[in-house]
Amino acid sequence: MDERREDGRPGDVDWRERRGADPSESREAPGGPPTEERQEPLHPAIEDDAEETRRLAETWAAPTGFVGWFTPVNQRIIGRRFIVTAFVYFVLAGLLGVAMRLQLAVPENDLLAPDIYNQFFTVHGTAMMFLFAIPVLEGFALFVVPMMIGTRDMAFPRLNAFGYYVYLIGSAIFFLMLVVGMAPKAGWFNYVPLAGKLYEPGIGVDIWTTMITFIEVSALTAAVELIVTILKLRAPGMTLNRMPVFVWASLVMAFMIVFAMPAIIVASSLLILDRLVGTGFFVPEMGGDPLLWQHLFWFFGHPEVYIVLVPALGIVSTIVTTFTQRSLFGYTAIVISIVATGFVSFGLWVHHMFATGLPHLGMSFFMAASAMIAIPNGVQVFCWIATMWGSRIRLATPMLYVLGFFWVFVMGGLTGVMVASIPFDLQVHDTYFLVAHFHYVLIGGSVMPVIGALYYWYPQLTGRMMNEVAGKISFALVFVGFNVAFFPMHQLGLDGMPRRVYTYLEESGWGDLNLLATIGAVVLAAGFATTMVNALASLRWGAKARRNPWDAETLEWATESPPPPYNHRHIPIVKSREPVWDWREMKERPVVTGLRSDRREVVVTSILDAEPQAVQVLPAPTIWPFLSAVAASVGFIGILFHPIFFVVSFFLAFFSFVGWFWPRRPWQED
Amino acid sequence: MRQYSGADVSGLTRFSKQKHPLYVGILGLIAIELSVVALLTVSCLYLMLTAPAWPPAGLEPAPLLWPSINLGLLIASMAAMRVAGNRITAGDRRGLIVGLLTAVSLHALVLVFRSLEMAAYDFRWDDHVYGSLMWTISGFHFTHVASAIVGTLVVAILAVKGYFTPERQLGVVVDTLYWNFVSAAWIPFYLALYWGPRLI
Repeated sequence: MDERREDGRPGDVDWRERRGADPSESREAPGGPPTEERQEPLHPAIEDDAEETRRLAETWAAPTGFVGWFTPVNQRIIGRRFIVTAFVYFVLAGLLGVAMRLQLAVPENDLLAPDIYNQFFTVHGTAMMFLFAIPVLEGFALFVVPMMIGTRDMAFPRLNAFGYYVYLIGSAIFFLMLVVGMAPKAGWFNYVPLAGKLYEPGIGVDIWTTMITFIEVSALTAAVELIVTILKLRAPGMTLNRMPVFVWASLVMAFMIVFAMPAIIVASSLLILDRLVGTGFFVPEMGGDPLLWQHLFWFFGHPEVYIVLVPALGIVSTIVTTFTQRSLFGYTAIVISIVATGFVSFGLWVHHMFATGLPHLGMSFFMAASAMIAIPNGVQVFCWIATMWGSRIRLATPMLYVLGFFWVFVMGGLTGVMVASIPFDLQVHDTYFLVAHFHYVLIGGSVMPVIGALYYWYPQLTGRMMNEVAGKISFALVFVGFNVAFFPMHQLGLDGMPRRVYTYLEESGWGDLNLLATIGAVVLAAGFATTMVNALASLRWGAKARRNPWDAETLEWATESPPPPYNHRHIPIVKSREPVWDWREMKERPVVTGLRSDRREVVVTSILDAEPQAVQVLPAPTIWPFLSAVAASVGFIGILFHPIFFVVSFFLAFFSFVGWFWPRRPWQED
Repeated sequence: MRQYSGADVSGLTRFSKQKHPLYVGILGLIAIELSVVALLTVSCLYLMLTAPAWPPAGLEPAPLLWPSINLGLLIASMAAMRVAGNRITAGDRRGLIVGLLTAVSLHALVLVFRSLEMAAYDFRWDDHVYGSLMWTISGFHFTHVASAIVGTLVVAILAVKGYFTPERQLGVVVDTLYWNFVSAAWIPFYLALYWGPRLI
């Protein structure tokens, strides 16, 4: 680069140049600086060649048609599929929740039989966590992150496609068990010995263990994708301290997935071995230990709740910046808080096990850690308040959902600090207080920002806007319905109503509050339904989105709505945290040149400073990831019937991977 | 908006090794699998330390000889892969093929020894949790060695077809990374399964 700078050719801008170093210059530009520059521009402008643009679109286009559905690898298509599929499960699992609330509306109700109720509540929890929350956040990350960091696709597009098919197959089989009435009924935490062969002989728990492992494979592929894409494919100049907060949050989420998900995979693999071939990991008579399950499960399970929270916090930061039209207050503090949350979340799992009789020293440690996690989250809340303070907030639907998030999430956080304290935890353990607490944290901390994100990024997803009036009605219903449904549960818990019961006695006196909660649940469901109908109707009747409809600052808005197949016509060069706002001011921008348009090329940059290092040639659409996912699912389902399927699937997967990776002739030259 | 060229990347390499995203991606895969290895080892220690007797009363700890020989073979195979990589960097395709096949043979020998050793155990996986652990962890590692073998055979076939050159050797580099992980993963298992019962 240095040589080129000396001979004065175009392309000699130093992308490391900091924005902070020259704001005065850019402001003085119209008045003072030398006139020669304006007469003869330093950098000749690039005119886009229409033929070149057409070829670029052709190179990056995704196939169409029925067979074409199984082959695309473009990040925006895969991300959108994750989002759509996850919302389907959100609706289905939400309906299960409403059904449970109807059952609990009055004492001694017989709407749902106990067996069905247990299936519903197990599938509701499992689906909301594994089939909705993680995939939808990964979906948004897959969809938005590459555009936000100014590249054209993920680092491993085929792996991306593989992850989606694995998720689709695994989740569909899991959910279909409910239709045939054989769903698992040991809760989403699937505790042994209840989930052992002795107490749960049916196929439900088998399906739970194998399909959860299978779906987590999908989460892990997406996590590695995100890590590599974020670290290696950022636009030149987007140093780590210029990365948008949402990208930071996605990166932290991905690292957490990499280190947390293996625990659930190990736990459920050991459980399926116990159930299928008679090993004794969780069987006390054989020397095993049921508590091992709880340790493994919560070593995954606690980071898990932060896995679904952290990217949602990134969404909140994004929306707050856009709708106040201000730089985020305390960028560094927010990023450090996100990273700290990631680390501390691995030291909390035992607080789910306070009632299991662990050593006192351990309990004290985990109590302190559990209370400590409130600090980084508190820091972020104060940074958002400072950003909004005195600004003119634009109260569009995404921002309303974020404001709702503040109220609900802070409430959930406070009850979280309460249950972090062991004496209090033992009092409310296994009561509805916990149900109230974690719905406040999960719906407030995760679902509300996700709905906000749906309204916010809908123009990039579809090219249209969602209806604002319907959005506001939806928010009002969700906010009121949520609090009416879940606030009374705090009181029910303090009154002693246990979790996981399918009914309760008249004399308990819990009837009125339960009825209130059920009314709230119906209102809440109506609110979410309004958004879902809005999203579907806007596909057809929504107003066409203009470019950058919210006047946001990050790069996903630097292109059209919806973006063309290649995302950015030129890969931009970034000099600040708010590139789009800068360009609006400066009326010009530097871009990368020299990428070929006849094959899928992206720029590889260094991890810290994002200096261009190499060019990566990405693969084209192919059927192999789909075949690999099918081969893997043969194994995961087959082993429930015969161990030979392990070997069969091993070789099937092997052949499909060879087909996937085999270099095509002529071997890529250069 | 006016656009100008800020960086021309036409001269940048399309072949990179350590800087290539795939290299980082394989490190990610290894991080995932290392977590699995760590969790299995910790689970083993947890069950070992809470058990009244380990192995269960009446059993001797499994013999050390064969697992130790396997450890040596696995480490030797890592060296063979290293040599193979160096040969192709020097442009020696024959050396690459010989190195890859040597490494594959060493791993294959490990599979043979392990099969004989496991067949000689006088307990089954469904006898007690000690047996469950021995068989499960062995099976886990066995499967990984087998997949490293078949994967590296494919790399060897490509080498025979002349695909790899001093520039184009990313495939060898990432295969070696994964190979080293699979070989080294035996160390914690070896310590936990064979030395653990002797040391507690």
